[in-house]
Amino acid sequence: MKNHQPLFHVVKRDHAGPGNQALAYVAAVALALAVGAVLLWVQGVEPITFYKQMLTMGIPGSRYPWRAVENFVRLFVPLLITSMALALAFKMRFWNIGGEGQFIMGAFWAGFAAMKLGDSLPRPAMVLVMAAAGALGGGLYGVFVAALKVRFGTNETLLTLMLNYVALYFLQFFAETKTDWNFFLDPESARPKFAKFPPNAQMITVPIGPFNLNLSLVAAAAICVILYIYLNYTKRGYEISVVGDSPNTARYAGMKVGRIVIRTIFLSAALIGLAGAFHVSSAGILSASPTNDVGWTGIVVAWLAKLNTAGIVAASLLITVLQFGCQAASAVYPSIDANFANLLQGVILFTVLAADFFTRFKLVPRSGKEMAK
Amino acid sequence: MNDPIHVLTLFFFNIVLVNTPLLYGTVGEIVVEKSGSLDLGVEGTMAVGAIFGYLAGCAANSLLVGLVVSFLAAGLCGLLFALLTVSLQANQNVTGLTITTFGLGLYFFVGKGMGERWPAMTSADSLVKGFSALELPLLSRLPILGKVFFSQNGLVYLGIAIAALVWWYLNFTKTGLRLRAVGENPGAADSVGVNILLYKYIHLIAGSGIMGLGGFYMALYMSGSFEGSNCWINGYGWIAIALVIFANWCPLLAILGTLVFGFFNTLQIYAGPLAGAFPGALGWLNVIPAQLYKALPFLITAIVLVASSVRSREGSGQPAALGLNYFREER
Repeated sequence: MKNHQPLFHVVKRDHAGPGNQALAYVAAVALALAVGAVLLWVQGVEPITFYKQMLTMGIPGSRYPWRAVENFVRLFVPLLITSMALALAFKMRFWNIGGEGQFIMGAFWAGFAAMKLGDSLPRPAMVLVMAAAGALGGGLYGVFVAALKVRFGTNETLLTLMLNYVALYFLQFFAETKTDWNFFLDPESARPKFAKFPPNAQMITVPIGPFNLNLSLVAAAAICVILYIYLNYTKRGYEISVVGDSPNTARYAGMKVGRIVIRTIFLSAALIGLAGAFHVSSAGILSASPTNDVGWTGIVVAWLAKLNTAGIVAASLLITVLQFGCQAASAVYPSIDANFANLLQGVILFTVLAADFFTRFKLVPRSGKEMAK
Repeated sequence: MNDPIHVLTLFFFNIVLVNTPLLYGTVGEIVVEKSGSLDLGVEGTMAVGAIFGYLAGCAANSLLVGLVVSFLAAGLCGLLFALLTVSLQANQNVTGLTITTFGLGLYFFVGKGMGERWPAMTSADSLVKGFSALELPLLSRLPILGKVFFSQNGLVYLGIAIAALVWWYLNFTKTGLRLRAVGENPGAADSVGVNILLYKYIHLIAGSGIMGLGGFYMALYMSGSFEGSNCWINGYGWIAIALVIFANWCPLLAILGTLVFGFFNTLQIYAGPLAGAFPGALGWLNVIPAQLYKALPFLITAIVLVASSVRSREGSGQPAALGLNYFREER
């Protein structure tokens, strides 16, 4: 019988040096920019000038450079928190792709608190209440999926995916229904339109010279540090990685796997809800599609960073630069918008996914003896 | 105009007309999932198939060219998915979502880049003709049913034919049964000599290609008018993923499922006319918010998912190895 054996074995590597990894990332970004350059050139856009515009994000030479930085921060914070939270779930091999839904629920309940209590509470208390409402709303929306998964083995990937849309249309119902009881809407407007939050429900900003520091950035930084410690230096964090590597090992070691899953997913979804709350309180108003796709982009970021905390900060910075930069550059190039950032993002991730293979596996040539068999 | 029978007929006619892309997407995803791959890139794959199929169809002024190009362009997305997840062992969820991000990015980039050069569908008369109603002899004269099922455009019949063909393929051919073995237990299939790599590649490409045909349908349904803010596919890819579960991975049930989901999908547009035509019986339709109809496919699927996991796994069409990569050395 003829024997069709490939020329190589695929063998798992023990570990790859950090040098190789870094190289893979640089190559990925370079390749994405090169593919992008070809596409731009085909479209008749001068790639170098475009990239210059994109990477400087239109900040130098702008009349209000600090305003641009503030807007950048507003885009950056929700993505950073969401990515950190998703990485927490992914570490446990729990496929929470319901970031969009949890973010929307967080935004909705924060908005609910703002409209109901915004006039009666002082500002610091109000911002805290909104954060708590958002975290609780997002957390509960995620945790019941975790409970179903633990109890019945329900497929969490597909269920969280479905719930994204349920949440979206739930919010849109409030955005588009003009009735007496709908206190979310602007009573002045004849068409359905979200009302602005009372002034006390807007995120606190601290002026530093010409720059207004959005407090949610400080909170996000604190969350990163706390999560880093939680994951690397606490028993609970250790349990997460054991459950992720092998639930059976965890069970033999006497860990209560179900409880760990539920606890961790609540934390993950609550953080995403918190990001939603921060987003709406920074914007000062709800919107019918508040997420800016962070639930999806967060997955890209978490994966790019290999679920590593410092990596997530870097990757979400990179993705925000791409998105914000494309938005800024689109002012000059009408045919290009933030979707170009999605395209680049896709190519970067494809390359990193491909490069991962070579850090996880190695190809071993088959020996002559084996070939002769 | 307000003749109740006429309104009802039109309502059912539109259920079929508007929702056939769902059938293509669902059948394509069933082919993919039966090979054990969970491809969450349906939305992006359909978008890529739609835009390239439409542009090629217009340029060549040929329906056939449009169909072939949309199949191939979407098939390339499937090839990319196969390359990354089958050969390079990348995570399927992440790869699929990236295909969606990338596909939609490409869709808007190409569409916006065309700018003034964007071709109108009226300039390609064979596309217009290809999408116009094709009345089947005799059958189309049946009352109501004739209009609803037998006076549709050719692509509707093609979609149903593909669904039936795939059903036959999966259940009654040797390769189809082997494919299911690959999705259920690749290790066992490999040990009896089934070429796992080849099966996964071919079915990922073919399944994605079928999704692309659905995208092309959507392009024609939207009369090829490109909007910078809304993609033609408009979430159909996600509904298709839901529909696969609802249809229990069976292409024939997918036809039925398309009609059920399509019913709600179309009801949001027809609630007003229906309530007007039957003020007594259906007057309450006006009160139900449109968002509920939009959410229902997802809500129903969520309930189906939970219910089927609560019951025992007996009788579920879900491939046992769905979403798991196959690595031979770990068999």
